[in-house]
Amino acid sequence: MTAGFSFLLLVIIAALAFEEKLHAKKSVIIGVSAIFVLLLGTFFGIIPFGAITLPGGESADMPVYIPAIDWEALAIIIGSDIFVAVSSRSGLFSWIAIRLTKLSRGDPLKLLWYYGLMTVLFSAMLNNVTAMVIVGSLTAVSLSRLNRTADLGPFLVVEALLTNIGGLLTLISSVPNIIVGRIAGITFLAFFAKAAPFVLALTVITLLQAAKQFGVHALKGDEEKEKALQVVSGFDENDGIVSRRFFWFCALMLAAFICTIAAESVLPLVKDLGMGFVALAFATIMLLAYRSQADEFYKAIDWDLIGFFMGLFVVLNVMEHAHVLEALGKGIEMLVGDGRSAGGTGALLLSSAACSSVMDNVPVAAMLAKILAAMNTPGTSRLWWAVVFGANLGGNLTPIGSVSSLVAIAIMQKHGVGMPFMTFCRKVFPFVAIELVLSILYVLAG
Amino acid sequence: MKQIDQFESIFRSALKDVYKYRKLSVKSVLVVTDRKESKLEEYLEDLRCFLAVLGTDVKWTIFDDEKHFTAVHLLEKVAEVKPDLICTYRNLHSAAWQYPYSLGEHLDVLMQKTAQPVMILPHPDDTSIYPHAMVNTNRVMTMTDHLAKDHRLIDYGILFTEPQGILFLSHIEDQRTFSRYMEVISRIPDIDTDHAAEEIRARLVKEPSDYIDSCIASAHENKLPIEVKKIVGFGHHISEYRKLIEEHEIDLLIMNSKDDDQLAMHGMTYPLAVELRQIALLFL
Repeated sequence: MTAGFSFLLLVIIAALAFEEKLHAKKSVIIGVSAIFVLLLGTFFGIIPFGAITLPGGESADMPVYIPAIDWEALAIIIGSDIFVAVSSRSGLFSWIAIRLTKLSRGDPLKLLWYYGLMTVLFSAMLNNVTAMVIVGSLTAVSLSRLNRTADLGPFLVVEALLTNIGGLLTLISSVPNIIVGRIAGITFLAFFAKAAPFVLALTVITLLQAAKQFGVHALKGDEEKEKALQVVSGFDENDGIVSRRFFWFCALMLAAFICTIAAESVLPLVKDLGMGFVALAFATIMLLAYRSQADEFYKAIDWDLIGFFMGLFVVLNVMEHAHVLEALGKGIEMLVGDGRSAGGTGALLLSSAACSSVMDNVPVAAMLAKILAAMNTPGTSRLWWAVVFGANLGGNLTPIGSVSSLVAIAIMQKHGVGMPFMTFCRKVFPFVAIELVLSILYVLAG
Repeated sequence: MKQIDQFESIFRSALKDVYKYRKLSVKSVLVVTDRKESKLEEYLEDLRCFLAVLGTDVKWTIFDDEKHFTAVHLLEKVAEVKPDLICTYRNLHSAAWQYPYSLGEHLDVLMQKTAQPVMILPHPDDTSIYPHAMVNTNRVMTMTDHLAKDHRLIDYGILFTEPQGILFLSHIEDQRTFSRYMEVISRIPDIDTDHAAEEIRARLVKEPSDYIDSCIASAHENKLPIEVKKIVGFGHHISEYRKLIEEHEIDLLIMNSKDDDQLAMHGMTYPLAVELRQIALLFL
């Protein structure tokens, strides 16, 4: 039976990898899969039905698929989505983006650095897609105005790479981080302390390499500099600010949100209620500013991701009961050993990266994290980090590996700068090779 | 992707054309006239008074050769003198100036064939000109339906406005064109007509309005001794400009006529040049 369910899991993974070919959203694929495995699990009698014991000792009747879902992670995703949607309305992010553009004085090399750093910062604070959309669209507009459309491809490639690097910065910067962090019990501060030095170093290396590989140089002549300065001076960072008061309110709320999330594990009351509560509470406070149009912001929630996430956890729960994860754990145990061998950790990181390069990194991270948990891997093990680093950076290998790369390609196409699949892979390979080598060394050293 | 387009729109909207002042001067003026000797001096004196803003250091050249008054000779004269400004009036050597139906052959050629700005003055014998016309240039108006990035137009507006005078920077969107598009939009079910009308109307005037604000800021920054005022709105071009000229007692109206694709000459400039006969007009 375990073999049968394992085969089924393989089919589901294959279906997710060929999402585009199937012309179906991943939430639908996983939803259908969840229905099917629940029926099969019930048929084979492997799913334990019955009342659930709550922390106070009470028992509650609940559908079997409800406790299978990680609701805390869902609350973080929904809360963050709404928070970002409302705060984007304040013009705060476009204000930061335009200020940096003006600070560059239109110099391409400075623009590459400023946009690169901004991408990392935004993808750490927002989700990767929103970060890529903001920085990518500004890049397209400013480069076109500076008559540098030829640089658009290289800039967008670098920004796509950096969204996944920035997505490593904090526990809430990407969904794989949230999943692995929750299962491994890693706190926000512990995650940040571990990831930040690496993200900083990798950002600098990526930008230095990009400037060299794509031949992005600083402007030399005074006339050229003056012309570029004049173009970027035309940007008005205050144009998108509807209300100065709301702008400052959002800036303060963003700072408060980051601080509260960071201190969540030590703050009284909040530590019991959890990060999901913090995200939802901040989202609700933000909605007060647009209380009569709150429903508009619910559209900003990525319901495909939410549906996918819920379905995925139901599927994995059934697989757990079918001992599939245990069997996979044994296979991974053979690969990684007891977690102390360098080869094993490196192999896990590369496997995680390879899988994430051709499919969504959420199921990869969720499955590997569940397997590691089933192996009773301690929260301090470097194997968790191997999964996190691999799942985040693996998406950089191909244009279909991460949604931010797809956004970058879409912007290129919109501006008539096409980049075929293989050209993208060829351009990013030197970057990803360095990223993976450095991440293996970093995880092993930690 | 909808979100990409949304953010690109935000950034495009934030990218504004900022006016940068460039000081111009007119050192040589070519006057093309059919005044006879007896009235010529008087006419030139009036013209010098009217254009006193140019200063005294101006070389005035007269082209009044009736025998050789052909487009070829006129263009040869322009090439020879290389003036900074050409001054003339409608329908030379003809009585057609009394009827507001044409400019005359020489003006058609001058306005399209020469690179220099051409000033069309009211006919010297025309008694229907406004009382404030041809006295001085202390109320000047620039006019366009695509004001943004029109630095040259503003430069000339500043040049011709007398110290302590007022320069009106105007931009009138054509109401008929707007209504036509709105009518089409109102038939598309996917578009909220009221919302689209509100947004498009606001966006159409925002760009010129922002540009004029940058002109006003630049005038302050450069301590120019003139006042710059903004007029932005919707209306029918000729009637709206006629109304504005009367309301603000405009002495000189400046507009473009030599766009890359000569759109202005075939668009609203030509009817304005033909019909607005009561004040001086400057065509760039």
